[in-house]
Amino acid sequence: MRILLLTVLFGCTASPHGESLIVRLAVWGPLARLSPHDEPGLASIAQPWVFEKLVSLDGVGNLRPALAARVTRLPGGRISLELRHDATFSDGDALRLPDVVRSVENAGLRVVAADGEFVVESRDGAIPTDALLIRTSIYRESGGAFLGSGPFVVTAETEYELRLVRRSPQRGRINEVRILSYPTSRDAFAHTLKGDANVIADLEARWLEFFQGVPSLRIVRSTGRSTDSIMFNMRIPREERVQLAAALASDHVRQLAYGDAKCAEGGIGDTPESLLPAGTTLRVLNWGPFERLALAARRALGDRGGELSTVTPRQALSRLKDGDFDLVTARPLAWPPSALSFNWRTGSPDNLTGYSNPAFDRALDAQDWSAAQQALRDDPPAAFVCTREQLAVVDARIKNATLGPYDLLETLPDWEVMQ
Amino acid sequence: MRRRIALLLTALVAACGVLPLLLLAMLGLQVLRARGERSSQEALQAIAEQAAARIATYISQQREMLRAIGTAVGGEPDAQRRLTNASLDAPSLGKPHLVSAETPTRELPKMLNPSQVANAQNGNEVASETYIAELSPAMDVCVPSGKPGRAVCATLDLLELQRQVQRIHVGEQGYALAFDRTGRLVAAGSGAMRAAVLSGEPVAESPLASGLVKGTPAPTRLRSGDGRDVLAGWASLADLGWSIAVEQPAEEALRGARTALKFLASGAVLTLLISIAIGSAFARRMLTALELEERFRTAGRIAAGVTHDLGHRLTILQQIEQLAAMNDADYLPRIRESLAAEVATLRRFVADFSDLTREAKPADFLPIELNAFAESVRLGAQGYAKEANVAVEVERAPSDLWVRGDRYLLERAALNLTRNAIEASKPGSAVRLRIERSNGAAVLAVEDRGPGIAPDRIATLFESFSSTKRTGVHLGMGLPNVRRIAVAHGGTVSVKSKPGQGSTFSLSLPVNGDQSSSPLTPATMP
Repeated sequence: MRILLLTVLFGCTASPHGESLIVRLAVWGPLARLSPHDEPGLASIAQPWVFEKLVSLDGVGNLRPALAARVTRLPGGRISLELRHDATFSDGDALRLPDVVRSVENAGLRVVAADGEFVVESRDGAIPTDALLIRTSIYRESGGAFLGSGPFVVTAETEYELRLVRRSPQRGRINEVRILSYPTSRDAFAHTLKGDANVIADLEARWLEFFQGVPSLRIVRSTGRSTDSIMFNMRIPREERVQLAAALASDHVRQLAYGDAKCAEGGIGDTPESLLPAGTTLRVLNWGPFERLALAARRALGDRGGELSTVTPRQALSRLKDGDFDLVTARPLAWPPSALSFNWRTGSPDNLTGYSNPAFDRALDAQDWSAAQQALRDDPPAAFVCTREQLAVVDARIKNATLGPYDLLETLPDWEVMQ
Repeated sequence: MRRRIALLLTALVAACGVLPLLLLAMLGLQVLRARGERSSQEALQAIAEQAAARIATYISQQREMLRAIGTAVGGEPDAQRRLTNASLDAPSLGKPHLVSAETPTRELPKMLNPSQVANAQNGNEVASETYIAELSPAMDVCVPSGKPGRAVCATLDLLELQRQVQRIHVGEQGYALAFDRTGRLVAAGSGAMRAAVLSGEPVAESPLASGLVKGTPAPTRLRSGDGRDVLAGWASLADLGWSIAVEQPAEEALRGARTALKFLASGAVLTLLISIAIGSAFARRMLTALELEERFRTAGRIAAGVTHDLGHRLTILQQIEQLAAMNDADYLPRIRESLAAEVATLRRFVADFSDLTREAKPADFLPIELNAFAESVRLGAQGYAKEANVAVEVERAPSDLWVRGDRYLLERAALNLTRNAIEASKPGSAVRLRIERSNGAAVLAVEDRGPGIAPDRIATLFESFSSTKRTGVHLGMGLPNVRRIAVAHGGTVSVKSKPGQGSTFSLSLPVNGDQSSSPLTPATMP
């Protein structure tokens, strides 16, 4: 009788695999191989599901423990961490301190003490430790492959598809993900509308029209973490940059450049063109998807709007290094606040315009983010025009899909599926 | 019986009164439905034409805007910069640019052929067919620049068309579709069909759309790609070679008519039920009145019969009394015989009445083997037959034939038929009891070679008090009682008679189950 009862119970309990929704994520462009490092290729979308980080960010940008059991800030920008003892790599081996040390040292951090807890600090001091720490994935190399401790593991990897499954299937959660690479955005959109894919991310607002009225899909929005900006050449005096920032980061420019798309900013400044100081015409260097922003900026400059050059990213980088520009369009990281250091900290490798502001650096060192932002307003390196919302379209059966806060789809392992 | 008559009457009322009305209503509703469909199709047609007009106006406006910009700035020295700036204010124009003989091939409008480009440089406006650029419908257009040898060209971004098409909603599920000359879907209001806009795959309506542009009318009711029946309105844009379809699932479009249909059908059914209820009540009341009247009539007939027969017996008894009053010993034997005969007659009279009061109860029925039963009847009638000098014979069935019944009542019925046959027979003749199986029933046929029954009598033979003998105990209750007993056993009684040749009364009863073996020990005469 007991055996019969068990058989019935077992028969009535579907396996988590059987019930789970397979996420088929449409992307366009090359996938490349998934690795724990910042490498080009869309496979990196899966990075946070496979490789855990020691810390993650909460909604307001504070560090919170992830693979670390405890996080403590120390003087001098150092951070003390205690490793979680239950974490294992996907091959079942326990996570060991040497693996962690190797991972963080490859990410520009230095381990200065390791005695139960371990202490890390930025190797060159230019980038705050926590800014580096939130980008650091923990991994171990094994037979030429990278093993992570995240909830998912790669099961198949081709040029066009990356398959991942959850290491321990969970009822009501997503247990399998397939990242499908299509040659063009049109293909990715078409296959999503057709139902071949059920998640598509990083959309422009204008393309959302296509997904309206499709019952099997729904739109998910969140605040972006990068800001479309117009960076200044540091030859332009500070006072003039302040005026330019006010003129360019205006509702007028936002309206021209983005139409009805939402920007997190609004009403920062709206200096009429006539109030701009007279001077030489300003050349606008443009690359990437910022053509309308560049055009809007040139119009906002009025008589001072000069030549607009649209170049490739490589050419733009070269001209930035040579200082051969006045204004240049860009999309620097704006969130979390510590990420401001990548582009604006004196001496940072990503500080391409050579911006240097001691007040800003001091605020970073003190982790006083509001003071850092005020310092950027007082001595602006750029006009921060528009932090656009991030958009994705997901299967309507997913209940609590959210984006970010750091990596676009980092919360996917927590998404719940309607039963 | 009374209930059956009431039901029949009710059905008659319904059939004569309400059903024709119901049929008429159904016909009316069909007409209503057809009109509803036609009206929906006309509405869809009107919407399609409005949408086509809007789209034509929009594209015309875009081209007009490009012409205006081309004329205004195309001849200026900084024309390219001005054109680039213009795209900020008119994003739907994409990136307007100058095209001249020096323009590199890769910068020429990709959907215009070289002769079209040359034509444009000569000061003529040219436009490509619509196509899907990246994700939205697009069209390459070149307009005169105002300066010889160069034109202003742009790729019109027609995403607004997608928006316009998407904004067309008919009911909850109706949508619009736009097709180009080849039948390719260029904008779709239906989310499920939007993939075809991007992939270029033909949809179910594609051949109809391309046919419409060539002048072939498109159907107003069709099966869409998802297998649903849809009503459709069509319009075409002659200049663009586009066609617009506005579709609505038939199920939704005709929901109003169907609701009316259901409502009216429910009303009709309700009316029918009410009529049946009223008819039933009236029928029952009428039947009750008829029954009462029939009872009085029956009581009258019984009273007449009883009065007549008892009066006859009374006359005989009075004659016997007069004989007895003479105190003549010679009359005593005659008085004794007469009294004995009258007592026997009155006993049978009472027995006949007693038979009428005994009800057949199927629960008490027992198996009876009909051959043995016939033998039993023959024995029961033997005394009477002997008096009449008539022989009674039994012709058995080839095998046992079982029925179920109330043995007493069935014997009364069979004896009644046999006695009638004996009475009808001439002395020296024979009455035959024939047992057979006929048409699945067990039959006991009683045959005589008497004078037969007049044809006009046969129809009322089994009705109460219809006997014309009226001698002795012939109250006219015998044959009606036989029929009552037969019916109570699920059987029938019938008669065949030819004047001068005799009569055959057949008592048919349902055969009892499997005849291959005896269900129970055969019943025997007591």
